[in-house]
Amino acid sequence: MSSPRAHEVLYESEATLRLVDSQLSELRHSAAAEPPRQPGLADLPGILERANTQILDVLSRLRQTRVAMQSSALDKIQTTHDKLKEVTTATEDAAINIMDACDRATQMVDVLDAIDAAPAPDKAKAAEVRGTLRDEIFMMMGALQFQDITTQQLSHASAVLVEMERRLDDVTRLFDTNIEAGIFTGGREYNASDSQTYDPNATTQNAEGRQALADEIFTAVKQPAA
Amino acid sequence: MKFLVVDDSATMRRIVINSLQRIGFNDTVEAADGQEALAKFDSTVKFVITDWNMPNMSGTEFTKVLRSRPDGAHVPVLMVTARSVKEDILTAMEAGVNNYIVKPFTPAVLKEKIDALLPAAAA
Repeated sequence: MSSPRAHEVLYESEATLRLVDSQLSELRHSAAAEPPRQPGLADLPGILERANTQILDVLSRLRQTRVAMQSSALDKIQTTHDKLKEVTTATEDAAINIMDACDRATQMVDVLDAIDAAPAPDKAKAAEVRGTLRDEIFMMMGALQFQDITTQQLSHASAVLVEMERRLDDVTRLFDTNIEAGIFTGGREYNASDSQTYDPNATTQNAEGRQALADEIFTAVKQPAA
Repeated sequence: MKFLVVDDSATMRRIVINSLQRIGFNDTVEAADGQEALAKFDSTVKFVITDWNMPNMSGTEFTKVLRSRPDGAHVPVLMVTARSVKEDILTAMEAGVNNYIVKPFTPAVLKEKIDALLPAAAA
Protein backbone atom coordinates (compact mmCIF):
# COMPACT_ATOMS: atom_id res chain seq x y z
CA MET A 1 0.00 0.00 0.00
CA SER A 2 1.38 3.39 -0.93
CA SER A 3 2.35 6.05 1.54
CA PRO A 4 -0.44 8.46 0.42
CA ARG A 5 -2.97 5.68 1.09
CA ALA A 6 -1.51 5.10 4.54
CA HIS A 7 -1.82 8.82 5.26
CA GLU A 8 -5.39 8.78 3.99
CA VAL A 9 -6.37 5.94 6.32
CA LEU A 10 -4.61 7.64 9.20
CA TYR A 11 -6.49 10.84 8.45
CA GLU A 12 -9.83 9.01 8.32
CA SER A 13 -9.11 7.21 11.59
CA GLU A 14 -8.24 10.49 13.25
CA ALA A 15 -11.45 12.04 11.91
CA THR A 16 -13.49 9.15 13.30
CA LEU A 17 -11.85 9.38 16.69
CA ARG A 18 -12.56 13.10 16.77
CA LEU A 19 -16.19 12.41 15.81
CA VAL A 20 -16.57 9.96 18.71
CA ASP A 21 -15.02 12.46 21.06
CA SER A 22 -17.32 15.19 19.78
CA GLN A 23 -20.42 13.02 20.18
CA LEU A 24 -19.48 11.97 23.68
CA SER A 25 -18.94 15.63 24.59
CA GLU A 26 -22.32 16.46 23.06
CA LEU A 27 -24.00 13.76 25.08
CA ARG A 28 -22.29 15.02 28.21
CA HIS A 29 -23.30 18.64 27.52
CA SER A 30 -26.87 17.80 26.54
CA ALA A 31 -27.20 15.72 29.67
CA ALA A 32 -25.96 18.67 31.68
CA ALA A 33 -28.21 21.15 29.86
CA GLU A 34 -31.39 19.14 30.14
CA PRO A 35 -33.48 19.64 33.23
CA PRO A 36 -32.58 17.04 35.72
CA ARG A 37 -34.72 14.05 35.29
CA GLN A 38 -34.61 10.60 36.60
CA PRO A 39 -32.24 8.68 34.36
CA GLY A 40 -34.38 6.16 32.66
CA LEU A 41 -33.22 2.73 31.99
CA ALA A 42 -35.12 2.97 28.74
CA ASP A 43 -32.44 5.40 27.37
CA LEU A 44 -29.59 3.07 28.10
CA PRO A 45 -29.94 0.59 25.20
CA GLY A 46 -30.06 3.41 22.68
CA ILE A 47 -26.97 5.09 24.11
CA LEU A 48 -25.11 1.81 24.29
CA GLU A 49 -26.08 0.92 20.73
CA ARG A 50 -24.81 4.25 19.41
CA ALA A 51 -21.61 3.89 21.38
CA ASN A 52 -21.20 0.35 20.12
CA THR A 53 -21.66 1.46 16.50
CA GLN A 54 -19.10 4.22 16.92
CA ILE A 55 -16.62 1.90 18.61
CA LEU A 56 -17.01 -0.73 15.88
CA ASP A 57 -16.44 1.97 13.29
CA VAL A 58 -13.30 3.13 15.08
CA LEU A 59 -12.02 -0.44 15.35
CA SER A 60 -12.64 -0.98 11.66
CA ARG A 61 -10.67 2.15 10.83
CA LEU A 62 -7.90 1.11 13.15
CA ARG A 63 -7.67 -2.29 11.46
CA GLN A 64 -7.40 -0.58 8.09
CA THR A 65 -4.71 1.69 9.51
CA ARG A 66 -2.82 -1.30 10.89
CA VAL A 67 -2.97 -3.11 7.55
CA ALA A 68 -1.81 0.02 5.73
CA MET A 69 1.04 0.59 8.17
CA GLN A 70 2.10 -3.06 8.14
CA SER A 71 2.02 -3.30 4.38
CA SER A 72 4.03 -0.19 3.63
CA ALA A 73 6.34 -0.58 6.60
CA LEU A 74 7.21 -4.22 5.91
CA ASP A 75 8.04 -3.50 2.27
CA LYS A 76 10.32 -0.66 3.25
CA ILE A 77 11.97 -2.57 6.06
CA GLN A 78 12.64 -5.50 3.72
CA THR A 79 14.15 -3.17 1.09
CA THR A 80 16.29 -1.48 3.72
CA HIS A 81 17.39 -4.86 5.07
CA ASP A 82 18.40 -5.93 1.54
CA LYS A 83 20.33 -2.70 1.02
CA LEU A 84 22.21 -3.07 4.29
CA LYS A 85 23.03 -6.65 3.42
CA GLU A 86 24.37 -5.48 0.06
CA VAL A 87 26.54 -2.90 1.82
CA THR A 88 28.09 -5.68 3.88
CA THR A 89 28.64 -7.84 0.80
CA ALA A 90 30.10 -4.98 -1.26
CA THR A 91 32.46 -4.03 1.56
CA GLU A 92 33.63 -7.60 1.98
CA ASP A 93 34.03 -8.15 -1.78
CA ALA A 94 36.11 -4.98 -2.10
CA ALA A 95 38.26 -5.96 0.90
CA ILE A 96 38.89 -9.43 -0.57
CA ASN A 97 39.70 -7.99 -4.01
CA ILE A 98 42.17 -5.56 -2.46
CA MET A 99 43.79 -8.28 -0.33
CA ASP A 100 44.10 -10.56 -3.36
CA ALA A 101 45.72 -7.72 -5.30
CA CYS A 102 48.08 -7.08 -2.36
CA ASP A 103 49.10 -10.77 -2.38
CA ARG A 104 49.79 -10.68 -6.13
CA ALA A 105 51.67 -7.39 -5.77
CA THR A 106 53.85 -8.84 -3.00
CA GLN A 107 54.68 -11.85 -5.17
CA MET A 108 55.63 -9.50 -8.02
CA VAL A 109 57.95 -7.55 -5.73
CA ASP A 110 59.58 -10.91 -4.83
CA VAL A 111 60.00 -11.65 -8.54
CA LEU A 112 61.57 -8.22 -9.07
CA ASP A 113 63.94 -8.84 -6.15
CA ALA A 114 64.95 -12.17 -7.73
CA ILE A 115 65.56 -10.50 -11.09
CA ASP A 116 67.72 -7.83 -9.45
CA ALA A 117 69.69 -10.46 -7.55
CA ALA A 118 70.52 -12.45 -10.71
CA PRO A 119 74.05 -12.08 -12.13
CA ALA A 120 72.53 -10.78 -15.38
CA PRO A 121 69.19 -9.06 -14.56
CA ASP A 122 66.49 -9.60 -17.17
CA LYS A 123 65.46 -5.98 -17.77
CA ALA A 124 62.67 -6.85 -20.19
CA LYS A 125 61.14 -9.27 -17.70
CA ALA A 126 61.47 -6.69 -14.92
CA ALA A 127 59.70 -4.08 -17.04
CA GLU A 128 56.87 -6.51 -17.73
CA VAL A 129 56.46 -7.33 -14.02
CA ARG A 130 56.50 -3.62 -13.13
CA GLY A 131 53.72 -2.99 -15.66
CA THR A 132 51.62 -5.78 -14.17
CA LEU A 133 52.36 -4.45 -10.69
CA ARG A 134 51.07 -1.01 -11.70
CA ASP A 135 47.88 -2.65 -13.03
CA GLU A 136 47.37 -4.41 -9.69
CA ILE A 137 47.85 -1.20 -7.72
CA PHE A 138 45.43 0.56 -10.04
CA MET A 139 42.93 -2.27 -9.61
CA MET A 140 43.08 -1.77 -5.84
CA MET A 141 42.17 1.86 -6.32
CA GLY A 142 39.26 0.96 -8.59
CA ALA A 143 37.94 -1.46 -5.98
CA LEU A 144 37.44 1.51 -3.67
CA GLN A 145 34.49 2.65 -5.82
CA PHE A 146 32.33 0.51 -3.53
CA GLN A 147 32.61 3.34 -0.98
CA ASP A 148 30.62 5.75 -3.16
CA ILE A 149 27.88 3.19 -3.85
CA THR A 150 27.55 2.01 -0.24
CA THR A 151 27.37 5.63 0.93
CA GLN A 152 24.32 6.05 -1.31
CA GLN A 153 22.80 2.80 -0.03
CA LEU A 154 23.28 3.87 3.58
CA SER A 155 21.77 7.30 2.84
CA HIS A 156 18.71 5.56 1.44
CA ALA A 157 18.44 3.27 4.49
CA SER A 158 18.75 6.29 6.75
CA ALA A 159 15.96 8.07 4.85
CA VAL A 160 13.67 5.03 5.32
CA LEU A 161 14.37 4.95 9.07
CA VAL A 162 13.58 8.66 9.41
CA GLU A 163 10.31 8.13 7.53
CA MET A 164 9.38 5.17 9.77
CA GLU A 165 10.08 7.23 12.87
CA ARG A 166 7.83 10.01 11.60
CA ARG A 167 5.01 7.55 10.86
CA LEU A 168 5.24 5.97 14.31
CA ASP A 169 5.17 9.45 15.78
CA ASP A 170 2.04 10.29 13.75
CA VAL A 171 0.27 7.13 14.93
CA THR A 172 1.19 7.79 18.56
CA ARG A 173 -0.15 11.30 18.41
CA LEU A 174 -3.31 10.05 16.74
CA PHE A 175 -4.21 8.30 19.98
CA ASP A 176 -3.11 11.08 22.27
CA THR A 177 -2.94 14.60 20.89
CA ASN A 178 -1.29 15.75 24.11
CA ILE A 179 1.87 13.83 23.25
CA GLU A 180 4.47 16.06 21.71
CA ALA A 181 6.14 15.27 18.42
CA GLY A 182 9.40 13.34 18.56
CA ILE A 183 8.44 10.90 21.31
CA PHE A 184 10.46 8.13 19.65
CA THR A 185 13.59 10.22 19.36
CA GLY A 186 13.49 11.91 22.72
CA GLY A 187 12.87 15.22 20.96
CA ARG A 188 15.94 14.91 18.76
CA GLU A 189 15.52 15.73 15.08
CA TYR A 190 16.96 13.17 12.71
CA ASN A 191 17.28 14.53 9.23
CA ALA A 192 17.58 12.16 6.32
CA SER A 193 20.24 12.79 3.68
CA ASP A 194 19.21 15.08 0.86
CA SER A 195 17.46 12.72 -1.58
CA GLN A 196 19.26 14.53 -4.41
CA THR A 197 22.58 13.15 -3.18
CA TYR A 198 21.80 9.45 -3.56
CA ASP A 199 20.15 6.96 -5.87
CA PRO A 200 17.80 4.61 -3.98
CA ASN A 201 18.64 1.89 -6.54
CA ALA A 202 22.42 2.29 -6.32
CA THR A 203 24.16 -1.09 -6.41
CA THR A 204 27.58 -2.59 -6.93
CA GLN A 205 26.05 -5.63 -8.63
CA ASN A 206 25.87 -6.44 -12.34
CA ALA A 207 27.84 -3.37 -13.44
CA GLU A 208 28.58 -4.98 -16.82
CA GLY A 209 24.91 -5.68 -17.55
CA ARG A 210 23.89 -2.17 -16.53
CA GLN A 211 26.67 -0.66 -18.66
CA ALA A 212 25.49 -2.76 -21.59
CA LEU A 213 21.97 -1.34 -21.17
CA ALA A 214 23.31 2.22 -21.15
CA ASP A 215 25.39 1.52 -24.28
CA GLU A 216 22.38 -0.03 -26.00
CA ILE A 217 20.23 3.02 -25.28
CA PHE A 218 22.92 5.43 -26.41
CA THR A 219 23.34 3.46 -29.60
CA ALA A 220 19.60 3.29 -30.24
CA VAL A 221 18.88 6.94 -29.51
CA LYS A 222 20.72 9.50 -31.56
CA GLN A 223 23.37 11.19 -29.48
CA PRO A 224 23.15 14.95 -29.11
CA ALA A 225 25.74 16.82 -31.12
CA ALA A 226 28.95 17.08 -29.18
CA MET B 1 43.62 18.70 -22.71
CA LYS B 2 41.94 19.92 -19.52
CA PHE B 3 39.30 17.72 -17.86
CA LEU B 4 36.73 18.93 -15.32
CA VAL B 5 35.84 16.11 -12.91
CA VAL B 6 32.64 16.65 -10.93
CA ASP B 7 31.61 14.32 -8.09
CA ASP B 8 30.55 14.85 -4.49
CA SER B 9 32.61 11.81 -3.46
CA ALA B 10 36.26 12.74 -2.98
CA THR B 11 37.11 9.05 -3.43
CA MET B 12 35.44 8.93 -6.83
CA ARG B 13 37.09 12.18 -7.96
CA ARG B 14 40.45 10.72 -7.04
CA ILE B 15 39.73 7.42 -8.82
CA VAL B 16 38.62 9.23 -11.99
CA ILE B 17 41.58 11.62 -11.91
CA ASN B 18 44.04 8.74 -11.37
CA SER B 19 42.41 6.85 -14.24
CA LEU B 20 42.82 9.91 -16.46
CA GLN B 21 46.47 10.27 -15.51
CA ARG B 22 47.01 6.62 -16.29
CA ILE B 23 45.78 7.12 -19.83
CA GLY B 24 47.83 10.24 -20.29
CA PHE B 25 45.60 13.15 -19.25
CA ASN B 26 47.26 15.06 -16.44
CA ASP B 27 45.50 18.42 -16.68
CA THR B 28 42.44 18.17 -14.44
CA VAL B 29 40.29 20.42 -12.31
CA GLU B 30 37.75 19.07 -9.85
CA ALA B 31 34.44 20.17 -8.32
CA ALA B 32 32.17 18.66 -5.65
CA ASP B 33 28.83 19.62 -7.19
CA GLY B 34 27.21 21.25 -10.20
CA GLN B 35 27.38 24.76 -8.79
CA GLU B 36 31.10 24.53 -8.10
CA ALA B 37 31.59 22.98 -11.53
CA LEU B 38 29.85 25.90 -13.24
CA ALA B 39 32.06 28.30 -11.33
CA LYS B 40 35.20 26.42 -12.39
CA PHE B 41 34.22 25.81 -15.98
CA ASP B 42 35.80 28.03 -18.60
CA SER B 43 36.83 27.78 -22.23
CA THR B 44 40.06 26.00 -21.30
CA VAL B 45 38.09 22.95 -20.14
CA LYS B 46 37.77 20.57 -23.08
CA PHE B 47 36.11 17.59 -21.46
CA VAL B 48 33.67 17.17 -18.55
CA ILE B 49 33.18 14.02 -16.48
CA THR B 50 30.30 14.37 -14.04
CA ASP B 51 28.38 12.39 -11.45
CA TRP B 52 24.56 12.67 -11.29
CA ASN B 53 23.55 12.67 -7.62
CA MET B 54 25.15 15.64 -5.91
CA PRO B 55 24.06 18.31 -3.42
CA ASN B 56 23.19 21.87 -4.52
CA MET B 57 23.11 21.05 -8.24
CA SER B 58 22.87 17.62 -9.84
CA GLY B 59 24.86 16.44 -12.83
CA THR B 60 21.87 16.70 -15.17
CA GLU B 61 21.04 20.24 -14.01
CA PHE B 62 24.68 21.22 -14.41
CA THR B 63 24.77 19.78 -17.92
CA LYS B 64 21.61 21.65 -18.92
CA VAL B 65 23.05 24.96 -17.69
CA LEU B 66 26.36 24.18 -19.35
CA ARG B 67 24.62 23.52 -22.67
CA SER B 68 22.94 26.94 -22.46
CA ARG B 69 26.32 28.68 -22.24
CA PRO B 70 28.14 29.52 -25.48
CA ASP B 71 31.42 28.13 -24.12
CA GLY B 72 29.79 24.92 -22.87
CA ALA B 73 27.38 24.11 -25.65
CA HIS B 74 29.68 21.68 -27.42
CA VAL B 75 32.09 20.40 -24.79
CA PRO B 76 31.83 16.60 -24.40
CA VAL B 77 30.07 15.58 -21.19
CA LEU B 78 30.54 12.06 -19.89
CA MET B 79 28.24 11.06 -17.03
CA VAL B 80 29.61 8.57 -14.48
CA THR B 81 26.84 7.52 -12.13
CA ALA B 82 25.28 4.71 -10.12
CA ARG B 83 21.92 5.43 -11.77
CA SER B 84 21.25 2.85 -14.46
CA VAL B 85 17.54 2.47 -15.18
CA LYS B 86 16.40 3.24 -18.70
CA GLU B 87 14.47 6.38 -17.71
CA ASP B 88 17.54 7.84 -16.01
CA ILE B 89 19.73 7.19 -19.03
CA LEU B 90 17.20 8.87 -21.31
CA THR B 91 16.92 11.82 -18.92
CA ALA B 92 20.69 12.24 -19.00
CA MET B 93 20.65 12.20 -22.78
CA GLU B 94 17.92 14.82 -22.85
CA ALA B 95 20.00 17.00 -20.52
CA GLY B 96 22.79 16.93 -23.09
CA VAL B 97 25.11 14.21 -21.86
CA ASN B 98 27.22 12.68 -24.66
CA ASN B 99 27.87 9.30 -23.09
CA TYR B 100 27.22 7.36 -19.94
CA ILE B 101 29.27 5.19 -17.59
CA VAL B 102 27.67 3.07 -14.88
CA LYS B 103 29.43 2.82 -11.51
CA PRO B 104 31.39 0.84 -10.58
CA PHE B 105 33.38 1.16 -13.80
CA THR B 106 36.63 -0.29 -15.09
CA PRO B 107 39.48 1.86 -16.44
CA ALA B 108 38.96 0.16 -19.82
CA VAL B 109 35.37 1.42 -20.05
CA LEU B 110 36.44 4.94 -19.08
CA LYS B 111 39.16 4.93 -21.74
CA GLU B 112 36.78 3.59 -24.39
CA LYS B 113 34.21 6.34 -23.73
CA ILE B 114 36.82 9.11 -23.61
CA ASP B 115 38.45 7.89 -26.83
CA ALA B 116 35.07 7.93 -28.58
CA LEU B 117 34.49 11.57 -27.57
CA LEU B 118 38.01 12.87 -28.13
CA PRO B 119 37.37 14.07 -31.70
CA ALA B 120 34.57 16.27 -30.40
CA ALA B 121 36.78 17.55 -27.60
CA ALA B 122 39.56 18.41 -30.01
CA ALA B 123 37.20 20.26 -32.39
